[in-house]
Amino acid sequence: MSPDQLTTTFAALADPTRRAILARLASGETSVTELAEPFEMSMPAISKHLKVLERAGLIARGREAQWRPCRLEAGPLKDVSKWIEHYRRFWEQSFDRLENYLREVQKKEKKNAREKHRRD
Amino acid sequence: MPARSTAATESAERVLVITRDFDAPRSLVFKAWTQPEHMMRWWGPHGFTVESCEMDLRVGGAWNLSMRSPAGRVDRQRGVFREIVEPERLVFTYTFVDESGNRGHETIVTVSFADVGGKTRLTVHQAIFESDEVRNDHVRGWGEALDHLAEYVKGNKK
Repeated sequence: MSPDQLTTTFAALADPTRRAILARLASGETSVTELAEPFEMSMPAISKHLKVLERAGLIARGREAQWRPCRLEAGPLKDVSKWIEHYRRFWEQSFDRLENYLREVQKKEKKNAREKHRRD
Repeated sequence: MPARSTAATESAERVLVITRDFDAPRSLVFKAWTQPEHMMRWWGPHGFTVESCEMDLRVGGAWNLSMRSPAGRVDRQRGVFREIVEPERLVFTYTFVDESGNRGHETIVTVSFADVGGKTRLTVHQAIFESDEVRNDHVRGWGEALDHLAEYVKGNKK
């Protein structure tokens, strides 16, 4: 996945209205009018949000002239989820190593302290 | 083996939250995060080795690290320190740069070091958004939306 695509996805997800639209679409495809209902927003404002989501590849719109249903596209969301999973592994495994390292350092410190004690 | 860390996808401000307790005083754990000679010994997934690590440990100072994968690939990571409160809190930006110089999305990493009876509870938050305006906005709404979306994605994984 390209970093640019991820940045585009994150930018699209950064707006609460757009996230609400996506959450709504997760339960099935729907018309723009229906999508607009819960928001106190003009149709042009909603259309603008939909365009951002469409450009980011997060939604697709039907081609029927009158009723252009919107539906969620899973691809970019899967990429986000993969990205999060990648970092989760990164930290978990770094933590494993940190755990071992801290144990090692403290053992060494104790040993040094004992030797120092013996010398004194 | 039960997981010793908890990972959660909560709000976007903290898209990734991982916590683990370490049997070491937090002054030592903080040092392990802020001194290159320590960092080089543990940073990165299993089998990776840190080849170089530079840190200009002050607010606005840069850090740079290069890491070799078990297959020999060299990745770089870099960022800038945002907040340094010894021994409690460390905030820095984090960008991944691959072998061909492609930069990944910049994230903000917040590391908290809490003293729990002489041991240390370490929490890493990794956030994906930059601006404060957007960040404040994450406090509401995002967690729920991401849950829905995560469910949706899960359903599409087959």
